[in-house]
Amino acid sequence: MMPTTPGASVIAITNLVRRYGRADAVDGLNLRVEPGRCYGFFGRNGAGKTTTIKCLLNLLRPTSGEVRMFGLDPARHEVDVKSRIAYVPDSVAFYPWMTVRATLDYFASFRSRWNQETERALLDQFRLDLRQKTSHLSKGQRTQLALITAICAEPDVLVLDEPTSGLDPIVRREFIRTVIGAYQDGKPGQRTVFVSTHLISEFEGLIDQFTIIERGRDVLTLDADVARDRYQKIYARFADDPGAIDLGTAHVLRRDGREVEVVVNGNAADVTSRLKARSPETLTTESLTLEEIFVTTLEPNRAVA
Amino acid sequence: MTVGMRIHLNFKSGKPVYLQVVDQVKSAAASGAIRSGEPLPSIRPLAEELRVNRNTVAKAYAELESQGVIETIAGKGCFLRASHSPFKKSVRLELLTREMDDAVTQAHHLMVGKAEFLRLAEERFDAFEHQRARAEQS
Repeated sequence: MMPTTPGASVIAITNLVRRYGRADAVDGLNLRVEPGRCYGFFGRNGAGKTTTIKCLLNLLRPTSGEVRMFGLDPARHEVDVKSRIAYVPDSVAFYPWMTVRATLDYFASFRSRWNQETERALLDQFRLDLRQKTSHLSKGQRTQLALITAICAEPDVLVLDEPTSGLDPIVRREFIRTVIGAYQDGKPGQRTVFVSTHLISEFEGLIDQFTIIERGRDVLTLDADVARDRYQKIYARFADDPGAIDLGTAHVLRRDGREVEVVVNGNAADVTSRLKARSPETLTTESLTLEEIFVTTLEPNRAVA
Repeated sequence: MTVGMRIHLNFKSGKPVYLQVVDQVKSAAASGAIRSGEPLPSIRPLAEELRVNRNTVAKAYAELESQGVIETIAGKGCFLRASHSPFKKSVRLELLTREMDDAVTQAHHLMVGKAEFLRLAEERFDAFEHQRARAEQS
């Protein structure tokens, strides 16, 4: 009998610490993913993303803290947890002597569910040759094959670790389209995606919530729409140099002569009214994209022009 | 995909993505780009095309349905409704007031006066009616 915890978060990470020797790869991380969300896990290379994912998959034991999937400890309920998730890593290894067909059958043999119709549709879409040996596949084709093995199993959670890095733009787009279409369509509102990436802009439309991880800690967790509402770039141009303007907590990106450009975090109305008080010729406001929010969070002084 | 309906998302607009879809469907309906009884694209292909979360499109369609703009026919999909507001006139006016306030505020900042603003409003009404007339002829 499969243990279940009704109403549990799909992923719950509490004060996770994982050390390698003396180095902390993950250092007190907290995050929670609810069913049906498409959750972005953003961080630079080396920020601790892959280590976190390995703890979720029970490939690494946490040094301290707690990791739960569906309310279960992946170390104690490994089979129950693994039967409900699928994982696509950044570089995929298959048995090189197997053909595409044999590889699919091999993966299917570990799964209680396998959607043949989806398999056929995706093989067709990716134009993969079933007789081809996996050693002869390109990196893009290997990722496509890994995605097929993940999606056909119809998991409750699809864990993607840097899935599109190193792929050409066409394969990337196809990849994301497949996650949206073939995966999410199966059980609308229930299919959860957890994607770690530093190629944020490609996933902009897909992500509805995200955590930015830096040096093993969560530094920002927000809903994507809330984030884009909160982080704004405001540009003002004046007829003459307006002299000193007190802009409160706004982060000044550019201040030169008649022009002012700032980034605000949640206080757009206040900053706009301070600028308006000086009667600018032009005043424009636009939201930051998730990638720009990522940059401004980690490197405030390099915030995008 | 439905004739004439083109949705463009702008992640920099500060407006939630699902609301952008809602507004653009409504505007396509107002201009006659989609007519009553015509089908909307189904959720999956639209989500794939826009490269957004399926849930975002589903949320937009649910919102459009609750506003009475579209209706879902089981097994057939979503269609634009003929007269599309179940709300009482007072509620409809109140909803519109909020949008008007935004536009008036914006006009103030852009230093566009009342007379100019009203002229523009009239011009936009005419433009939409013109588009509708053309859509109905074709």
